[in-house]
Amino acid sequence: MMQIRLLAAALAAPVALTAAGSPAFAEDGQAVFTQNCSACHQVTGKGIPGAFPALAGDKFVVGPVGPVAKTVLNGRGGMPTFAPDLSDAQIAAALTYVRSSWGNAASPVTTDEVAKARSASGLAAPANGMQAH
Amino acid sequence: MTDQAAFPASRRMFLQHLAGVGGTGLLMAGMSALGFGIEARAATPPVLSGGGGKTVVVLGSGVAGLTSAYELSKAGYEVTLLEARERVGGRSYTARKGTQLTELGGEPQTCTFDEGYYINPGPWRIPYHHRGYLHYAKTLGVQMELFNNDNDHSYLYFDKGSGPLAGKAVRKQAIAADTRGYASEILAKQINQGALDQQFTAGDKELLLDYLKGEGYLTAKDFKYVGTENRGPTLDRGAGLNPGEFSKPYPFTDILHSHYWAVLQSVSDYDQQRTMFEPVGGMDRLPYAFARELGPMIKLGHVVEKISQSPNKVEVAYVDKSGQRGVVVADYCVCAIPLSVLKSIDMQVSPTFKAAMSGVSYAPVGKIGLQMKRRFWEEDHAIYGGHIFFDNPDINSLSFPSTGWLGPKGVILGYYQFGGSAAKISALSLKQREAFAISQGAKVFPDYGDHVESSFSIAWHRVPYNLGGWAEWTEEGRKTAYPILNEPDGRIYLAGEHLSYITGWQEGGIESAWLQIAKLHKRVHA
Repeated sequence: MMQIRLLAAALAAPVALTAAGSPAFAEDGQAVFTQNCSACHQVTGKGIPGAFPALAGDKFVVGPVGPVAKTVLNGRGGMPTFAPDLSDAQIAAALTYVRSSWGNAASPVTTDEVAKARSASGLAAPANGMQAH
Repeated sequence: MTDQAAFPASRRMFLQHLAGVGGTGLLMAGMSALGFGIEARAATPPVLSGGGGKTVVVLGSGVAGLTSAYELSKAGYEVTLLEARERVGGRSYTARKGTQLTELGGEPQTCTFDEGYYINPGPWRIPYHHRGYLHYAKTLGVQMELFNNDNDHSYLYFDKGSGPLAGKAVRKQAIAADTRGYASEILAKQINQGALDQQFTAGDKELLLDYLKGEGYLTAKDFKYVGTENRGPTLDRGAGLNPGEFSKPYPFTDILHSHYWAVLQSVSDYDQQRTMFEPVGGMDRLPYAFARELGPMIKLGHVVEKISQSPNKVEVAYVDKSGQRGVVVADYCVCAIPLSVLKSIDMQVSPTFKAAMSGVSYAPVGKIGLQMKRRFWEEDHAIYGGHIFFDNPDINSLSFPSTGWLGPKGVILGYYQFGGSAAKISALSLKQREAFAISQGAKVFPDYGDHVESSFSIAWHRVPYNLGGWAEWTEEGRKTAYPILNEPDGRIYLAGEHLSYITGWQEGGIESAWLQIAKLHKRVHA
């Protein structure tokens, strides 16, 4: 698991740099966002109308932490679950970044809050099959 | 032989008897009576006739839309099919020289494979029990070839475990032989020590030991696993004075800690079993065979903007490629647009129906095709088709082409990832995706990158008019939203893989279309 994370982080680092011009750290919220979320929500947080919801200026995103963390953990609509891929600390960092960027100004998210949402959702990491379709 | 072994003798004789007197039709009925459920899935389209000039507008030219249009038009309905793109097929897609794709938020991409080479970025294999697909392949003259979905001699690459085998490419046949050999040896030892005497009569015990001996290649005398030629020899036996040389088994503990045993099952999943097929020349061959039959009924470049209905009519407003707006008025609509896309289209249905459309999620899915200068996997490694399984979910499987055997070049599937992994890899630029695929393939083949000439990658969740690889229903969604969407809302019938229990397969789209058009036809003739 660790090996894979490191490799992925190494790959995503240049993306984070280009996008924001600031260095990315291991649990840097912007780096986690850029790496895992920006393919759909875009580095601008504006999403793509009709396909991917905007996070910038979105009421749900800056609302109570519980449902937001739950969405990242469980997925919704076209959004996958990130429960098996991201640690509580990574999710907290990414959500803190999202809630304080592009004009959003909501409270930071703590690792504990994400951990709480994770245990409340009772979600075990789904088994990743060798074969799909 | 296998069939006979599968049925208890009395039942087998009963079936043979039925086949003898009544032919297959009676045999099938008999099998249904015996609980085999043969009729549960239709093998051929519903026989419809007497459409009587009623008009149907079909939305989307994936296999569900094409099947609907084809069968309804044959039955005498007047059909118009609107397709947003400049091609038919939807996810039944083939990327070859000149294929262009721009993902949402992505860079423009043009496939630069050599003439005759391609990748199927969507569906890529047809199980033997997907009888609807095979029915159309046969009746529309689409040539099929075998898809090698299991290769004993291919490698496995797991690096999340521990021990000397973790992070070392190993041949599947060696892992299979060793794991089953050691497991059989242990079980045989227990049986011989009397550990299972209570469970078995003496006769059972002997037979089970015989089975274990065969299953695990155990020595005749003392039930030991000492390896087998079948795990792959270090030197192939040959002519003259070359008897060959056996390889040594891996230590059991090394296999256990590497987790390679996770790829082994007594048989593959039902969806993954041999025999498997693919269309010769690419997955879009079937859609184009349908298109040939449908001709001018298909309107390409027509993007649906609004679907409305009255008690008597359905109206579909579209905008075509030249920006011209128009409306198709019809008696009925078969809508085969994925729900991921449909939920954002202005559509006049009941609030319950509308809400149900959000009750499903769509899988993010990523694939990449890499054109290789030469078929090094065949020439250097004797690997002909099949997959290399990775325990890194960002790769999952690296797969070799089942076409162009022993030819000059080939296109490898470099990764096939889902969910969070697909979201992550899709954030990379096209070049970075290629570099990532190469960095992983190089773990098995150090010279992998040297062979790569060009690549074509796709992230289905970012593809306009698809927005996802396939529908994923939760148990809850199957109970609540799913039944609602399987029934028409007014004059609108939905069809697609998302309305089947075969989601993510073309067969689901085809059989869903059959079901829905049969309902529509029944209503017309009510």
